[in-house]
Amino acid sequence: MVASVLIVLLWWLIAHNAGSGWVQLLGDLVFGALLVGVLGPGLVVTRARIRLRSAPGDGVAGLPVSLRVDCSSRVRVRPVAPPGPDMFVGPRSRGGTLEELVVLVPTHRGVHASVTLDVASAAPFALQWWTRRVHLSLPSPLHVAPRCGGAQPPPRRPEDGTGDSVEQPRVEAGFPRGARPYVPGDARRLVHWRSTAHTGRLMVREVEQPAAESVTVTVELPTDPEAAEHVAEGALGSVVHLLQSGAPVLLCTREEAGPVVEPVTDRRSAGRRLARAVAGGVPEGGARA
Amino acid sequence: MSVIDFVRRANQPGQPEDSVQLRRACLATVAVAIAACASLGEIAWTTALGAMVLMAAGTAFSHATRARPPWWVKVIVALGATGACVWFFHTVSSPTDGITSVLNPLTILLVTVLVVHSFHVPSRRDLLFTLGASAGLMAVGGALAIELRFGLYVAAWACCTLWALTEMWTSASGGGRISAASLVLALVATSTVAAAVFLVLPAPVVSSRVSFVSRAGNGGSIGVPGGLAGDSGGAAQLSRAGTPAGRTRVGGYLGFAGSLNTALRGGLGNTLVMQVRAQRPSYWVGETFDTWDGQSWTESKPVPRRPLRQSSPFVLPIPVGDVPFGQSDLQTFYVESPTADLVFHAESAGELWFPAGKVYVAHDGTIVSPLGLGTGSIYTVDSQVSAATPAQLRASGSPFAFPADVPQQAEQLPRAYPRALALARAVTAHDTTTYDKVQSLIHWIGAHTHYSENIPPLPAGADTVDEFLFGNRVGFCEQISTSLAVMLRSLGIPAREAVGYVPGGYDPITDLYQVHADDAHAWVQVWFPGYGWQNFDPTAAVPLSPPSPGSTALHDVGAAVRRIPPVPVVASVAIGGLVAVLVRWRRRRPATWAERVARAVERAGRRAGRPRRPAETFAEYAARLDELSGPAASNWGRLAASVEASAYGGHDPPPPAQRALVDEARRTRVQVPVGAGTRD
Repeated sequence: MVASVLIVLLWWLIAHNAGSGWVQLLGDLVFGALLVGVLGPGLVVTRARIRLRSAPGDGVAGLPVSLRVDCSSRVRVRPVAPPGPDMFVGPRSRGGTLEELVVLVPTHRGVHASVTLDVASAAPFALQWWTRRVHLSLPSPLHVAPRCGGAQPPPRRPEDGTGDSVEQPRVEAGFPRGARPYVPGDARRLVHWRSTAHTGRLMVREVEQPAAESVTVTVELPTDPEAAEHVAEGALGSVVHLLQSGAPVLLCTREEAGPVVEPVTDRRSAGRRLARAVAGGVPEGGARA
Repeated sequence: MSVIDFVRRANQPGQPEDSVQLRRACLATVAVAIAACASLGEIAWTTALGAMVLMAAGTAFSHATRARPPWWVKVIVALGATGACVWFFHTVSSPTDGITSVLNPLTILLVTVLVVHSFHVPSRRDLLFTLGASAGLMAVGGALAIELRFGLYVAAWACCTLWALTEMWTSASGGGRISAASLVLALVATSTVAAAVFLVLPAPVVSSRVSFVSRAGNGGSIGVPGGLAGDSGGAAQLSRAGTPAGRTRVGGYLGFAGSLNTALRGGLGNTLVMQVRAQRPSYWVGETFDTWDGQSWTESKPVPRRPLRQSSPFVLPIPVGDVPFGQSDLQTFYVESPTADLVFHAESAGELWFPAGKVYVAHDGTIVSPLGLGTGSIYTVDSQVSAATPAQLRASGSPFAFPADVPQQAEQLPRAYPRALALARAVTAHDTTTYDKVQSLIHWIGAHTHYSENIPPLPAGADTVDEFLFGNRVGFCEQISTSLAVMLRSLGIPAREAVGYVPGGYDPITDLYQVHADDAHAWVQVWFPGYGWQNFDPTAAVPLSPPSPGSTALHDVGAAVRRIPPVPVVASVAIGGLVAVLVRWRRRRPATWAERVARAVERAGRRAGRPRRPAETFAEYAARLDELSGPAASNWGRLAASVEASAYGGHDPPPPAQRALVDEARRTRVQVPVGAGTRD
């Protein structure tokens, strides 16, 4: 903008002192185009109406989340919180389609009740970009789960002389344990044909059942955001690993309202809990992540 | 950000520009600018066409290599641009012909840079530079353009630039197109801003020392040294004073000769004689006369035959009796049609840029060209324009104490003018200063005489002053100014006759005064001690302050609007409005019989105070109207069923039945029972 003003002033100075009406007229035209090119985007950005059509409730840090929006005019959108790449939304031409996708790539876990976008335009001449910050309320909060880190082995119990301090390796739920005779109600997919041939009776596979004893995962997040993110990632990895092994998981976290100790049944619920988790201690109750 | 960072950031290669349309638009913009310069003769047309072809090839090459421009192209572009700049500065380091010696190399420089640069235009930023350079090229052309025809190139360039800018947005926004309405809005906004700035800004000034232009036109050399050649017989034929037999000379003026016969004026026509670029309007003086014989003016000391030989610029001697007092004023004269070989100027000429090695200068400041001033001649004069105020002139010394160099001829009269003297004394009886006396006489002439060119020539031997002042008091400028000069001389005030042109109409676009043949004029110069010869005009009210392009343009537009006959305009507007109303009515009219029925039903409901609710289906609405009308009424429901059968089932009754249904819907009224209320 400063360059435009300087160009126009220099032009007018030369035109005025060169005594040429045509040069001055050309300068007027250039000034008009520059002014429209510099101020026009402000008008476009101010008048642009961007509305949220739909948004998912869950996301994962580092993975894209798509919002469906519509916009009254063609603008460039840059998601700020959560961040995301630049993209253009709005009709390409008059009467064109309005709905577009805005992609967010949240870098950290958290819960977002709204998204903040930088809406920019340089219409009509692409000479100057004007930006306006827009906050869009989400229909339901967006829970951004942490990335799924590596599973951490459960810590050993302290030596108490009973010999229980050494954890026996658990057999994963669903692994084959043996074969038994078929009873009505067994699924056909469990039929073990080799044993059936060997025994002459219809035999079915018998698999490990989920453990009845739940595993408590306590997540204490440090105050440092990066460290908290790292801890949450590890916790989610452990929870997911435990859930895959069939163990009931009781997740202990601290949220804004206080400590929460509730079971989690799947990865999504665990991710939501960890998304809501805040730094602070939780009551003793199980293995620490 | 440090300077190094800024430079590094500025030199970072931009994103490759993929838009072919944008490149085409930029190419068109540059082509128009090159053509504009070629049309003004700044570069040859063959050069221009070659540059356009190279530009097109360069643009195609740039587009093909936009992703990875070859390094050697950068080197060639840098070397080419640097070489062109070095050549330019070397060429203009010692300008000899004023601005022309700068503008022509500047045009070549810009064209060269644009051509070379076109081979390395990978990104949008580079294309923006191309647009800016095309604007510079147009400005160079505009600096020398003196005709409205240049406006065609300006309009074409503006359109191409607008195209390029909108394509730039299309490319920058990932394919977004500016709608026609937005484009029109942008165009209107740009034009409005440009017009507003144009109206507000003052007129350009000619204060720069580079604006000295001179060029010989198509006139030949004058055979007689110092002779005055007219336009009728070619450069070799000297001008003669007009005669009643030869009073019509289109484009010429009878006074641009050795004498001025005030008995006739002649038909001058409206030919554009010359255009003048000046800081302020002024009388363009051709020559002056100091000897009056009762019907003709002559100069007591004719133009000398010894020329003033100098190289341009000529430093002119101070005219006898004149005082170098006032403001410097530059004027450039563009001769548009052959005219007298007088070098016109504003008041007292000091320096002259002229396309010849010599000029003839008379003692009164009259400058005569050795060349015929044909079409295309250009010369520039630096004059001293008097800035004396009325108060200063009133306070100046007595005009009766002439210095030695003021010619006594300035108060010469061929005979006594007793009636003119008596009249002058009567008019100036209450005036004590020369200035007031001059003004009183001018006011008296304005109040008691009439200007007209349609009068017969005076008979031979008749005295112009007596015929005019004491006859019917109708005359033209030569007679009126002569009468003033004679009355002033009879009072002892030195005065002389000056002939030349009034400033002419000011063109706010070209910033030029357009002088036509019928702008030829005669007026009076009165000598004031300390201030020299001052112009006084008893005939024309010539504005002598710099005009404003805006006010001039508004005045011209207002005058054009006033010339528009009101009746056809009002009739056109009325017809247009009627057509618009009809078109709108037709667009709003229901297209099908079902829509007409539905609209009639809703209208009937509204009249009964039962409008259709927002979420109410048409069938529900009709049922509500039936319920309102009474248990036996089922007209509305039947109509609604027909409408829905047509709208959703495609079952249309035969046309007569359709018309009947429409008529029924229009005729039927909702019967609101007493006590049911009037509103919903």
